[in-house]
Amino acid sequence: MALLEVNDLTVKFYTQDGVVTAVNGLDYRVERGEKFGVVGESGAGKSVTALSLMRLIESPGRIESGEILFKGEDLLEMSEEEIRSVRGNEIAMIFQDAQTALNPVYTVGEQVSEAIRHHLDYDDAEARERTIQLLDRVGIPEAETRYSDYPHQFSGGMQQRAVIAMALSCDPGLLICDEPTTALDVTIEAEILDQIEELADDFDAAVQLITHDLGVIAQVCDRVMVMYAGKPVEKAPVEDLYYDPKHPYTVGLMSSIPRVGDSRERLQTIPGTMPDLVELPTGCSFHPRCPYAEEACTRKEPPLLDPETGAEAAASSAEHAAACLEYTGDLRDGLDYEIEVRGQDPRTDVRQVEGDQDD
Amino acid sequence: MRRIYDSEALHRDDDEAFAPSEEERSVRLQALRSIDSTALSDRLIPTGLRRRAISVDVSTPRTEYSEGEPVPFSVTMKNSLPFPVTVSTASPILWTWTVDGEREASRVPLHEPPAEAGRFRFDRGERKEFRKRWEQMFRVSETEWESAAPGEYTIGAGINVEASDGAALYDETVVRVVPE
Ligand SMILES: Nc1ncnc2c1ncn2[C@@H]1O[C@H](COP(=O)(O)OP(=O)(O)O)[C@@H](O)[C@H]1O
Ligand code: SF4
Ligand SMILES: [Mg+2]
Repeated sequence: MALLEVNDLTVKFYTQDGVVTAVNGLDYRVERGEKFGVVGESGAGKSVTALSLMRLIESPGRIESGEILFKGEDLLEMSEEEIRSVRGNEIAMIFQDAQTALNPVYTVGEQVSEAIRHHLDYDDAEARERTIQLLDRVGIPEAETRYSDYPHQFSGGMQQRAVIAMALSCDPGLLICDEPTTALDVTIEAEILDQIEELADDFDAAVQLITHDLGVIAQVCDRVMVMYAGKPVEKAPVEDLYYDPKHPYTVGLMSSIPRVGDSRERLQTIPGTMPDLVELPTGCSFHPRCPYAEEACTRKEPPLLDPETGAEAAASSAEHAAACLEYTGDLRDGLDYEIEVRGQDPRTDVRQVEGDQDD
Repeated sequence: MRRIYDSEALHRDDDEAFAPSEEERSVRLQALRSIDSTALSDRLIPTGLRRRAISVDVSTPRTEYSEGEPVPFSVTMKNSLPFPVTVSTASPILWTWTVDGEREASRVPLHEPPAEAGRFRFDRGERKEFRKRWEQMFRVSETEWESAAPGEYTIGAGINVEASDGAALYDETVVRVVPE
């Protein structure tokens, strides 16, 4: 049994502009101890997916259908009390902005130790001691003194470390990180990612890491799901995705990874923007931005397919799958790009082949 | 685009370590709440009047479009009363648009809204405008679309109220699709 099994999850927001389908029939699995990446541009539905797992979505948002099985139990069927105990004990979450989690009126130490007291039944002194150990463990210098600091006395990076300490204090089976380093600068980003990775290993926690940056996924994850407009468009083990991306959107994301040690900012970005999730484009949602779009792409929406056989990918499959009509045989001209891998760095250089198609 | 972390659609609880903190946002939210004065006016105005107070208008920039050319249309709703009005809707879907009677130009149902009423709120004298586009396509299944053939099509829009009261809160316009 997978640690986490999300089946056909659909989340909508009822707004006056219309019904926003933020997450649309999503399926995925996270195994025990696995590091699972979720990547996509802003607005793809990554945060709403994560918050749905924690049952934190409220009106006008609604989890309209689906199942979220954690250790075999459906989180969507649980009572409010049961889900509160899952939050923190079983699943912990780190937000992009550490201030989302930290309460400005209590000291950092109090907040971590409160979480520990609550979840582990420690008394005050034990909780305090454990908190200081943890703060030290996540790299906060002079943890004993900093225990009594308020969140605003911490830098952004230090705040995020404290939140990591809080998340791990309860020994969760799954740690959800929603763009944990987006608000931080690059040098700190690498440190925090290392920290998450190392601690997850030590504590034997699975990680669902959400980011808009494929470079971050490469650094940390085993498997990845690429999301576009509320749906997965590609799923794969990380290496397969890097060396052999199968969806044009993934290819676009790759070419927009800033290259380490390269003065050119970004090679190219995908033209256009994420569509309005009230009215998705017809057919393949990516068609208005896809360099390979054909007539068929405006009329038919491809499911996730095995790129080798064209068979529909099973929800439970951990194999490479992509949602593009290339693999149903519906494209006349086909996809045409080359991936050039440079050196040891998994970051790649993507070239679109110009001119007429060859096959 | 709405941001989930800045919205009210997020469960917050200061007593829970892993639910977002309330403190951080309470000031901003308070400012929003204080201008919401619907509750009182709701009770004072009879439903019928509330509905007559609101007008709906659908329009397209032209009446003729070439085959395959997207048809933009705008839906304007206006509250003519000098106080806020809230229309109670049949579901949380507040209003919809149709082409030849097909909701959002789809022959398959797209939404299964929960069985509960929605509240569509208008400020005093408020005019709301929604811009939409019909791609000259009909969705014929979960995963397939077909082009509309040349001919006349009726684009409608209405507030999602019971049919008997619907007429006043609905409007339509006709466009012609001509072969290229
Ligand atoms: N409170 C809300 N009301 C309406 N739509 C929302 C709300 N919160 C989020 N959304 C919509 O849900 C979609 C997914 O958002 P999100 O999960 O935050 O994307 P991501 O994390 O990938 O950037 C977006 O289109 C966003 O506009
Ligand atoms: S189905 Fe068409 S539009 Fe969608 S990704 Fe494939 S080629 Fe591009
Ligand atoms: Mg997000």
